[in-house]
Amino acid sequence: MAEQHHRALILRRHRHLKWRSFDWLEALLMVLCGVCISMFTLASLCDVVTRAIGMPWLWLQQATTAFFAWGVFVGMAAATRRNDHFYLTEITKRLSGAPRSAIEIANRLIVLAVSVLLTWFGWKNAILDLGSYRMPSLIPLTVYTGIVPAAGVLIGLFSVEQLVNGWRNGFEGPEDGENVAVLPE
Amino acid sequence: MSNGAILCLMAFLFLLFGYMGVPVTFALIAGVLISVQFTQISMQSMVGQLFHGIDSEALLAVPFFLLVGELMASSDVVQRMIQLAQTLVGHLRGGLAQVVTLFSMFFAGISGSSTADVAVLSRTVAPEMDKEGYDRAFTAALIASASTMANLIPPSIMAIVYGATGNVSIGGLFLAGVVPGVLIGIGLMVYSYFWGPPGVKKKRAPFAEVAEAARASALPMVIPVIIMGGILSGWFTPTEAGMIAAIYVIVVLIPVFRPRHVYELPRDFMYAGLLYSLPLAAVAAASAFGWMVAYLRGPDIVAVYITGIAGTSGPMIMFLLVVLFVIVGDFIDAVPAIIIFMPIINKLTEIGNIKPLHMGVVIITTLVFGLITPPYGLSLLVASKYVGVGFGRAVVRSLPLYAVFFLTIAFVVLFPDVVLWLPKALLPESVGCFKSPGGAGYICPP
Repeated sequence: MAEQHHRALILRRHRHLKWRSFDWLEALLMVLCGVCISMFTLASLCDVVTRAIGMPWLWLQQATTAFFAWGVFVGMAAATRRNDHFYLTEITKRLSGAPRSAIEIANRLIVLAVSVLLTWFGWKNAILDLGSYRMPSLIPLTVYTGIVPAAGVLIGLFSVEQLVNGWRNGFEGPEDGENVAVLPE
Repeated sequence: MSNGAILCLMAFLFLLFGYMGVPVTFALIAGVLISVQFTQISMQSMVGQLFHGIDSEALLAVPFFLLVGELMASSDVVQRMIQLAQTLVGHLRGGLAQVVTLFSMFFAGISGSSTADVAVLSRTVAPEMDKEGYDRAFTAALIASASTMANLIPPSIMAIVYGATGNVSIGGLFLAGVVPGVLIGIGLMVYSYFWGPPGVKKKRAPFAEVAEAARASALPMVIPVIIMGGILSGWFTPTEAGMIAAIYVIVVLIPVFRPRHVYELPRDFMYAGLLYSLPLAAVAAASAFGWMVAYLRGPDIVAVYITGIAGTSGPMIMFLLVVLFVIVGDFIDAVPAIIIFMPIINKLTEIGNIKPLHMGVVIITTLVFGLITPPYGLSLLVASKYVGVGFGRAVVRSLPLYAVFFLTIAFVVLFPDVVLWLPKALLPESVGCFKSPGGAGYICPP
């Protein structure tokens, strides 16, 4: 079923753009996505319960927002490898040969450039945030913002992976004409 | 370089990269980071803005309502609600089309996600419609149009994002979305009855069958009560209401209706974890974009154009914004659109002396229309893929349904008292009312 296919831990889609040696990383990121949403669901629940019984744990809200923010950036990295991000168009899928390769390479280079900037400036922000703290838990802000350069590194890595494999194997794949229809043809 | 030129460059780069095939999130960030070079702002602060864009407690509600939708869709506990819709309206002309619309209204009260609604209906009702000879293009168009109600009838992810970024009451937006949501539902049912395919005529279900279906679907139908009841009673924030709804699905619905699905929960969580990161990554990028729009005085520039035509007339300003957002919604996703244009919306709300809640519901109703318009009608794209029909054919079959949306939008703009009646009655503070100094009742400024 199309939907089950999309839920796989490691997507078979776009296999020709992936190195098998990075599959564990995709699986790990998916598990981390699950851990983040589970943890902030649990933290939110504990927050409501502890408030209801009159013994609020103030740091729970900060744990919730930390897992939430990590989840966003971890998911952003995972979605880069799985090609799951939102796209405005799928024009490139209708192209083939050299024009397709040229646009696909340009796209990956843009993502790579953004990832380098996220890593570098995100790192500088994270270092700066070592001196800022969240009240009342006094957790350094770096605990939150450190995920930005980490996601930048992963996004860069997956962009390079797709660039190299696309260059070698071509960007076109069987999933370009993928049929996810629930109804039979 | 002038502010206007930098704004144009930023918008141009975003659209260029986006239509080249760069993911929306990265196209937005790239547009911002290049444009920053022509200003005094540092790259470092713009990268920091990506994080600050999602550092909001209200946005935590988004993953919870997505999680509820995904859990309900993947565990198939919604089958009973479809059965209830079937017994209520299945006997009407175009019975299954009526079922699609009524079920979407029910499902909208549980999930804030249109795509979850499309996935459920494509898997369950679409095959039945195919057997009864409904045109697949019509099936896709109707499923996509009906799914838009998920973003109007509470809980709504668009309302959460709008409320969090525009500093408008999320509970108020939830309540204000009920009237346009129901109007779209009624409009689609009326269209299906008079002009849609007739389907197979069925007998009206006897009362005992309706009662049995209502009893069987009572447990899932408790979710809207938990969500809105919790928010209105002041027990929960929208975020906590979403969390409680998710826990309810996991602890009550799945063990009761689909116990074997418990083993699939880790996968559901992983997928939901990925799924929520996609709109929120776009929120992070769009908030940097929106920050730049505000810094470059974009709201002033647009306000001059709009007030040049509309003056300070509230309805005229709203109609011009509707035109703007119909165009914007054709090209970009609703969530980034809300955040990017929020500074402009706020400015025009002030100039037109419009209630922020009224403006919010007008903008959200307009943006849900964008879910079924080409080239970027997300719900229609997903529905046509699942139903297995060309997007172009689905668009053509959607065209008559657009009338329902135009009429609803016009109604929302012109009759604020009707639209805001529910929030005024149940959450008076959300429409600017305040407690009477005497202690009894509320005072609501005109």
